[in-house]
Amino acid sequence: MGEMSFKASPEISMGVELELQILNSRDYNLARDAADLLAVLDKNGHPGAIKPEITESMIELNSSIHLAHDTLLAELKEIRDAVVRAAAQLNLRIAGGGSHPFHKWSERRIYPTERFRHLLDVYGYLAKQFTVFGQHIHIGVPDGDAAVYLTHMLARYIPHFVVLSASSPFQQGADTHFESSRLNTVSAFPLSGTMPFVQTWSEFVSYFEKMRGFHIVESMKDFYWDIRPKPEYGTVEIRVLDTPLTVQRAAQLAAYAQTLARYLLKERPLPPTPDIYMVYRHNRFQACRYGYDASYIDAYTQQQIPLARHMLLTLDVLTPHAAEVRSAAALEGLRADIEARRSDATLLREMYDKLGSLNDVARCQSERWMNGSQASAGAAADNRGA
Amino acid sequence: MPQFSFLPQFPLPANPLALFGVLLLAGALVGELTRRVLNLPRITGYVLIGLALGASGLNVLDARMLGFSRVFLDIGLGLVLFELGRRLDLDWFKRDHWLAAIAISEIVLSFGCMFGALVWFGIAPLYASVAAAIGVSSSPAIVLLVARELNAEGQVTERALNLVALNSVAAFVLATMLLSWIHREYHASWTVMMLHPLYILLGSACAGLLASAVVIALATWIGKRIELHAALLVAMVALMIGAAEALKLSVLIVMLIFGALVRNLDSAHALMPVDIGRFGQVFFIVLFVTTGAILKVGDLIAGGAIAAVYIAARFVGKSIGVLTFAHLSGIKPGSGGLLSIALAPMSGIAIAMTYSADSVYPEFGAKLATIVLAAALILELAGPVAVQFALRRAGEAQEETTWAR
Repeated sequence: MGEMSFKASPEISMGVELELQILNSRDYNLARDAADLLAVLDKNGHPGAIKPEITESMIELNSSIHLAHDTLLAELKEIRDAVVRAAAQLNLRIAGGGSHPFHKWSERRIYPTERFRHLLDVYGYLAKQFTVFGQHIHIGVPDGDAAVYLTHMLARYIPHFVVLSASSPFQQGADTHFESSRLNTVSAFPLSGTMPFVQTWSEFVSYFEKMRGFHIVESMKDFYWDIRPKPEYGTVEIRVLDTPLTVQRAAQLAAYAQTLARYLLKERPLPPTPDIYMVYRHNRFQACRYGYDASYIDAYTQQQIPLARHMLLTLDVLTPHAAEVRSAAALEGLRADIEARRSDATLLREMYDKLGSLNDVARCQSERWMNGSQASAGAAADNRGA
Repeated sequence: MPQFSFLPQFPLPANPLALFGVLLLAGALVGELTRRVLNLPRITGYVLIGLALGASGLNVLDARMLGFSRVFLDIGLGLVLFELGRRLDLDWFKRDHWLAAIAISEIVLSFGCMFGALVWFGIAPLYASVAAAIGVSSSPAIVLLVARELNAEGQVTERALNLVALNSVAAFVLATMLLSWIHREYHASWTVMMLHPLYILLGSACAGLLASAVVIALATWIGKRIELHAALLVAMVALMIGAAEALKLSVLIVMLIFGALVRNLDSAHALMPVDIGRFGQVFFIVLFVTTGAILKVGDLIAGGAIAAVYIAARFVGKSIGVLTFAHLSGIKPGSGGLLSIALAPMSGIAIAMTYSADSVYPEFGAKLATIVLAAALILELAGPVAVQFALRRAGEAQEETTWAR
């Protein structure tokens, strides 16, 4: 039961996890150097935490806990710079983006830890296909009941996060015609989806115990839900985002989630309804497939409106809360992008049209990530051609 | 018997294409056997069948036949060198000074150790210095092809390939500069002494530069069409091998510089990353079979003891050079040792160099051959095994034997 006791967090704090791509500098395919890269980072020292992920082509950055957008962004930049410096020493490139445009999943190797080997045993090829790259945002909540409420209410806004982070238009060497194709990979897992429609933390704990009794799960980690409560951190974790192409975007998205959470928890504008989950998959698919052109069904009004419009309306509602958590500038940036229909996925497609090969797309992804970092000497050299 | 003139006459005339087929088939089959039965690299098998077919064995590949297969060897080698040149990332050496330190120290120390050891064992300084220069090289073909065979990727593999490329250039530049000394020994004129090395080095560098500029310009004009880029590269490699030979330049330097500049000058990324090795695979097999046929087991008996000294000194020099700086260069503990082992195979180019010295002053070539060729034979056979061991131990081979699904 210790695992399921909900640890209170500073309200309304946030933290970010970013899964990143490790590329070689030859053809910009995924490399397999995670272990060497982590060893160099360990030796050099760095802020935040940096961990291995399921295959040897990935690493994960974790920020610490923040109350405001500007400190989060500053820390993310520092971690990024440390990683870029270490990568430069090993002649590797680091890239954001939800998918690598042309790697072959069968060439991936599982990172050699007990847990990841176990996942390969359980999930077979799905484990290697899981070489996709997401941003997770943690929002601190005061208690378990608030976590349950926030999880249900954030489900209404999942399409916003999908569209604003979408950066996986290419997979396995082809255009997927999705803005975010990464979520299709996640959907293959049997424990993906959404939290059941429970109303309180104790109700959730009994659901969890039952699932554990069935031996379907052992810990909260086994649920691959889009949004899940994380009792040991005292947070609600949003997991639908692609890793954006820049840390600036990642920090903006975290600020958006923080402001939204503040609005939902302070105002409690609506009671949760199971209807949220009736429209959920439709809305999520629309966002993944069409981006800003998606349609959105509101579970409460039962009306269908353009998703971009719903996003702008939401930003209007958030204005007073943005002032409270100092996220107004970040949200203005997002508003400008929505109005101009700019997204990382669109940008990647433009790069492909202009440069003509997916190797170039992967290279541009890495240049965009490493840009602004002083350590990216190699990337700077590459930029001349971009 | 004019009425039967439609029938072939015996003995059948030698046919280069049939020869290519035989070498390829024999190499592929014995390579596969070596892999399955002995769990050794296929390349060792290619060399073994070459030895068996060559002068040391059945003598099927006699001097005349080797003349035919020369063109396949050249293409195979040209492709290997070009590919290796493309792996050479000069920016990396600029960014990681410890890697540059490794390169310089293992080149200098291996040359010093070999030269010192040979002189100590009574070899004349001129021969000792040329042999030491040749020994600085690590085999591009062996290291690149074992890495390909294992599908290896990682820090040891990438560093080994970059160091091999630099070693090859350093060895050739050293050996070419020593040409002056050889010319003086044979009382050539002062102008020959100066101009010959200069012509080879500068001429080869210019040819490589020209080839890369042409390829980049054509690739820009063609646009991103991978099949056309592949044709462009293979055509240019073949053309430049022929041109280098016709102009008496160094195929090695031309190809390495061509490959290196195609990568390092292509700032707009016009050329796509074509995997030229897929096309080259068949030539690589014939390359090693032919190399095996050229080598003579007799050399081993003639030069055995001094070759052992030469190999040991070379390994010690390279290992000290690598191990001194490896831990500062961001690789895991233990990887430095594996990197030294991966540099162990000596270049098949060593043979070519010995013979090219041969063509200027035959007497000099013959004396040098007794030192170098025995070592080349040993390392052609043991080298692939060493590289395979190093890359597997480093965990960079794509095999997943333990828990693959």
